[in-house]
Amino acid sequence: MLNLWMRTSALISLIVVVLMLGFLLQQSWPYWQHDGLSPLLSGDWYPYEHLFGLAAAIIGSFWAALIALAIAIPTGLAAAVMSTEILSGPWRSLMRSGMELLAGIPSVVYGLLGLWILLPFLQSNLHLLTGHNLLAAGLLLSIMVLPTIMVMTQDALCEVSIHQRDTAASLGMGWSTRLWRVLLPQAWPGIRSGILLALGRALGETMAVMLVVGSMDRIPDPWYNLLAPAQTLTSRIGREIGESAFGSMHFSALMACGLLLALITITISMLAHIRTDKVKT
Amino acid sequence: MNTKNNKIAAIPAEVPQQVAAHNAGDISLHASKLSLALEGKNILRNISFSLPAQGINILIGPSGAGKSTLLRCLNLLHTDWCGELRIMGHHARCWPEGEDGLRRTIGLIAQKPTLFPCSIQQNIVFGLSRTERNHMPENRIEKVLKQAALWDEVKNRLHDQAATLSVGQQQRLCIARALMLSPKMLLLDEPTASLDPRSRQFIEASLLELAQNMPVLCVTHDIEQAKRLGGQIIFMCEGRLIESGDSKSFFKHPNRIESREFLQWSVCDCS
Amino acid sequence: MMTERCAKTLITMLALPALLLPAACLLYILFKGIPALDWAMLSGSSQASAFGSITALWPQITGSLLLMLGACLLAAPVALGGTLFYALIANVTQRKALLGIMHLLVGIPPVVYGLCGLIVLVHMLHWGISLLTGMVILAVIILPMLLMNSVNAIERIPGGKTEAARALGLSNGQLIRRVWLPAAWPGLMTGLLLGMARALSETAPILFTATVFSGVAWPDSLFSPVTSLQTHIFYLAQEGANAGAVDIAWASAVILIILVTVLSFGASALRNIRMDG
Repeated sequence: MLNLWMRTSALISLIVVVLMLGFLLQQSWPYWQHDGLSPLLSGDWYPYEHLFGLAAAIIGSFWAALIALAIAIPTGLAAAVMSTEILSGPWRSLMRSGMELLAGIPSVVYGLLGLWILLPFLQSNLHLLTGHNLLAAGLLLSIMVLPTIMVMTQDALCEVSIHQRDTAASLGMGWSTRLWRVLLPQAWPGIRSGILLALGRALGETMAVMLVVGSMDRIPDPWYNLLAPAQTLTSRIGREIGESAFGSMHFSALMACGLLLALITITISMLAHIRTDKVKT
Repeated sequence: MNTKNNKIAAIPAEVPQQVAAHNAGDISLHASKLSLALEGKNILRNISFSLPAQGINILIGPSGAGKSTLLRCLNLLHTDWCGELRIMGHHARCWPEGEDGLRRTIGLIAQKPTLFPCSIQQNIVFGLSRTERNHMPENRIEKVLKQAALWDEVKNRLHDQAATLSVGQQQRLCIARALMLSPKMLLLDEPTASLDPRSRQFIEASLLELAQNMPVLCVTHDIEQAKRLGGQIIFMCEGRLIESGDSKSFFKHPNRIESREFLQWSVCDCS
Repeated sequence: MMTERCAKTLITMLALPALLLPAACLLYILFKGIPALDWAMLSGSSQASAFGSITALWPQITGSLLLMLGACLLAAPVALGGTLFYALIANVTQRKALLGIMHLLVGIPPVVYGLCGLIVLVHMLHWGISLLTGMVILAVIILPMLLMNSVNAIERIPGGKTEAARALGLSNGQLIRRVWLPAAWPGLMTGLLLGMARALSETAPILFTATVFSGVAWPDSLFSPVTSLQTHIFYLAQEGANAGAVDIAWASAVILIILVTVLSFGASALRNIRMDG
């Protein structure tokens, strides 16, 4: 009885993975069959004309994630270094609690904040017609992935042993040299995992992005124009899944978005965890 | 450096400086009334001693006597001690090149060899800055490794990971790494505690050789080792400096009851 | 000395957003939400004034809590079973595989779970947009979190304890009940509370599989749709023309954050018990 329960439970997790990927593939199959892989390169997405190009959303997703990481990595690293190497005692735990608080705020609430603070701010300061754009999505995402990077980096820095720190100090290395040559290199595997996990989260975040990105299928033109409304894979799914009929090509195309998203994020999280698994065995 | 430390160092400003100038030739380190309390516990109480300009000095005493802590104080890894510490005639806290400069002048080798996760060669030059590394004479590494009695064992594998060395070799690598900075003084914290007899012999031999040019302060609780190394003995017990003096007379005629007890128990340990 | 001070200043400057943002976000949400949150509104005694502002938030709160509880009830036994499988039966390969699958599941964005739920549960099993669909989807989302947390909790039990119990001839069942559960329950509960907090804050996957915007006070059965705080915030946030609606969104956000914070505080309190014990 006990054995059966244990084995079933373990099997369930395996079945879930197989079923999920299987059904996503099955439902998106008509789409892939119809156009092959060519829509990956096309930016035209007009469901009523049966044009389903994914490029705009893919580029949008990566731009938003890139902006998020560009802001969150320096800030998160600095915050982690500050809390482990500069602050002490109560300040350190206060900072950690702050990060946990930030991590605990539901994504839809970030969406709300973005919609009613960030967008008006961007609109008035950058003189835009609408604040809905990739920059807003990136900024919002950077706040959301900041705790991931900060907490992982902090843990990794704490793991560097006191002996290493002392030895470096007794070799006469200054604080910044120690940080640069001993602490950061040794914590790097953990930091790398944190960054990859943050990237996965940024790519997969839906609600907040959906509320601020504008949901317009355009490849940024020119490519660095982040101030126009755009689309990401997740926001497209969120916006359009309700309107598409089950079994239609539109539905199938959305499932293709989902499958693509799943494959990208699975790859990223596998990369992030290669190290963790090595340590555990 | 905080103001509290400055104040402590500033009190005996005038007089000892003259003393130091007078003695600079033969005294390399002079500690007087060093005390340290950590978390309300007195770890060191009123420790005063000096080290001559060269030769070996043994800091001996039972576990928990505060020997390792004293070494860390001399190297400013602990900074919240009070008392006075002069190194080469300078106040330790007002060292011209700052704390880090002081630590480069005083090599400290920990009990447990701690290597950085990179190659043997990179470990040896770890303490040097980039410019120093680029302007280093070519045979510098060889010279330092020879001083640490390690050259023959690693000369063909300088680019291997340092972690592949045996513990005894790792400890010698730590010594070489400290020597790379051309220290004026060497502090060692039970460098042979976890080593096999052969490695211990290597290290002791190189210590004796190094001691001809600079003062070496070596912590140990192994009486046999202390006898082998000779030199000046400083005996500590429960945070106090009990007795110091020449090695031979200390082992033959210990003056204090604590010393006698310590020697007696250790003899029992060996038998 | 100089470079050290420069480096520290630079790092502090860079870290400044991380110091200020948590407080700023929280204060702003409270500042916007608390005025909108009065008990009359919660209890529903005042009248709905404009489109979208169903003034009583109780249906949303109960809906969220129902989804959360259902998800935990479904996920917890599976997570515990999986953990025991990991600890008792699995060999090294199976352990690696199980952890690998869990990492994989954690990495998949929640909205993808929502899509799969939509295909399988809503359309293929004909459950429709329903409470049960939402529960199952949320259960799958929190499953890897729960399982990895409880694996950690079990692994933290000193090996000597288990060996001593084995030496006394305890069976698997006895070992679990008399040694592991007493030693690991704070860890297990921490995981469960964190899972609950996660289930409360997930929005995307239930948006199109379990919830409707309005018209449901209390679901009639597992197969009827519900309303939830999370999705309520999403719908109301976009009612830009109607200031009242946005106010209610802020109020809902405050309630949601309070619920999530209570759960995570509970989790950290339990974590401290484990440290002391």
